[in-house]
Amino acid sequence: MTAPAQPNQQHASEDDPRIMLDGQIGQYEQVPPYPPRTEREAEFYTLGDGEMFLNMGPQHPSTHGVLRVVLKISGENVVDLDPVLGYLHRGVEKLCENSDYHHIISQIDPLEYVSSLFMEWAPVMSFEKLMDVQVPRRAEYIRVLTGELLRISSHALFQGWMALDLGGLTPILYSFIERDEIVEALAALTGQRMLFNYFRVGGVNGDLNHEFMSRVGDWMSRALVQHEANIGLLNENEIFVRRMRGIGKLDRDTALRMGVTGPNIRAAGIPFDVRRAHPYSVYPELEFNVPVRGTKDGGDSLDRYLLRLDEVRESIRIIDQCLHNMPDGPVMARLPRLMRPRPGRAWAAVESPRGLFGTYVISDGTDQPFRFRIHDPSFVHLQLVGMLMKDNLIADTMAVMASLDPVMGGIDK
Amino acid sequence: MDRTLKTRLEAKLADRLTGPVRQRQDQTEIRVKPADLIETMRVLHDDPELEFVILADMAGVDTGDTLQAVYHLWSNKTPDWLRIIAEGLPREDPRVPSITGLWPGAEWSEREAYDMFGIIFEGNRDLRRVYMPPDYTSFPLRKDFHLPDDSARGPGGGVRHVEQPYAPVQGTEQSIRRTVKA
Repeated sequence: MTAPAQPNQQHASEDDPRIMLDGQIGQYEQVPPYPPRTEREAEFYTLGDGEMFLNMGPQHPSTHGVLRVVLKISGENVVDLDPVLGYLHRGVEKLCENSDYHHIISQIDPLEYVSSLFMEWAPVMSFEKLMDVQVPRRAEYIRVLTGELLRISSHALFQGWMALDLGGLTPILYSFIERDEIVEALAALTGQRMLFNYFRVGGVNGDLNHEFMSRVGDWMSRALVQHEANIGLLNENEIFVRRMRGIGKLDRDTALRMGVTGPNIRAAGIPFDVRRAHPYSVYPELEFNVPVRGTKDGGDSLDRYLLRLDEVRESIRIIDQCLHNMPDGPVMARLPRLMRPRPGRAWAAVESPRGLFGTYVISDGTDQPFRFRIHDPSFVHLQLVGMLMKDNLIADTMAVMASLDPVMGGIDK
Repeated sequence: MDRTLKTRLEAKLADRLTGPVRQRQDQTEIRVKPADLIETMRVLHDDPELEFVILADMAGVDTGDTLQAVYHLWSNKTPDWLRIIAEGLPREDPRVPSITGLWPGAEWSEREAYDMFGIIFEGNRDLRRVYMPPDYTSFPLRKDFHLPDDSARGPGGGVRHVEQPYAPVQGTEQSIRRTVKA
């Protein structure tokens, strides 16, 4: 049998390829077990002197989901890495193209399960653009209120995860206290703790209720204090700070060219926030700052971590304004039950806790979208890991990856 | 809707546009031939009056007849999102130049479009499937790839599919396929 020459495949014996000679053990098995498809793949899977492959995942606890990363290492240093996706691929876009507009909201809820309201927000906004719907102001305020609550919960969870990935167990327990109070409040409003399925085309599913308001008011009275206490757990920890500082440096130009958005680009010194860059909902009426960190050379993992803590403070400010300025009125626009938008195209993007989350819809006049595209920020950010990890230690892979805060549910769609 | 953006785009890209600049709500849409894509992107990115520096999204689209590559850009100089559509890619051999020279971050998005639509991005250094396994041969998001219970094949044609049970396809290929006016 004449197989095409593979980079790592050296048959030991012409007569019987199963027999390996001394010194060729380990070189025989071809990794991956199929011919390389691109030059980059061939280059990656060719080992240099003293290099070896190390598999991280698919079930590694610090990959935030089911992700396999093939590390090419030389000693303790990572030379290159190749993330292998698809373990969580469910074909959500195809499913959405075969569901009607109202179903889509629940279809794409589980994409980023820690911030699912933002996954509902973008498609709902794009459908509203297709339908030319004016959303009632009260509904917009409720969307901002619940969205910012969830942003805090997501960032709290990030803080805990980050510490967990670096070997600190305690912070995640405190993060979950904060997250639990928020999701309990949202559960009182929506009936769900995680996949809320709350936003609707033209508004939200149900008005604010007493239990939600009392829980949020209760939490708000000590939110800042609790936040400062959680910060104190980690920010003054020398081991934590030293492990984060200086690794995974991302400069401004690279950040722009790599399509980075959200906290990761702001930690590199570029104040790009969709809430300000392309205002949607009632954000133009609200007062908040867009925190930026990093020097002119860009930001490192520590900057990305600290920036998310700054954002929590701004979110608390926004929630405060929403609670004080909440207008009266209906929470749903009047819309036909069966949505059949006129043929057209619409793109809408929101600032999710991970960055720009957008959906692009093409309507052909039926009650199902003709094309439904989901743009997930984590997918773009995961590309950076290979670039940021060059010549760092294996143990720092987790620190860098966690500081980018990817969620595999959204990456694999 | 940013009217000045329309005039700016028409002035800078006049001969490359294949149709009028369309504007609706907060989006401006231009269409180009795939061969002109790189030059168009370069003008949009580098021109001091346009400066579309942020690539918000890169998507593949199957209109039912031909394929398209769709890009969304953001600039500080305009309140609009800009949509660039490289249109008219033939189904059999859809080829479009890769924009990874300008935005290396588009690499995985192009891999995804290749995986789902089979669009070949010339110049992408790592064009392999990203979600589906390496021995997979179909392109799942194309319109001729039907789900087993795909209601679009039924007589309802996607209208009120919730209430219609799946019925085997009757008729020609033309009646099955949903198309959208490109």
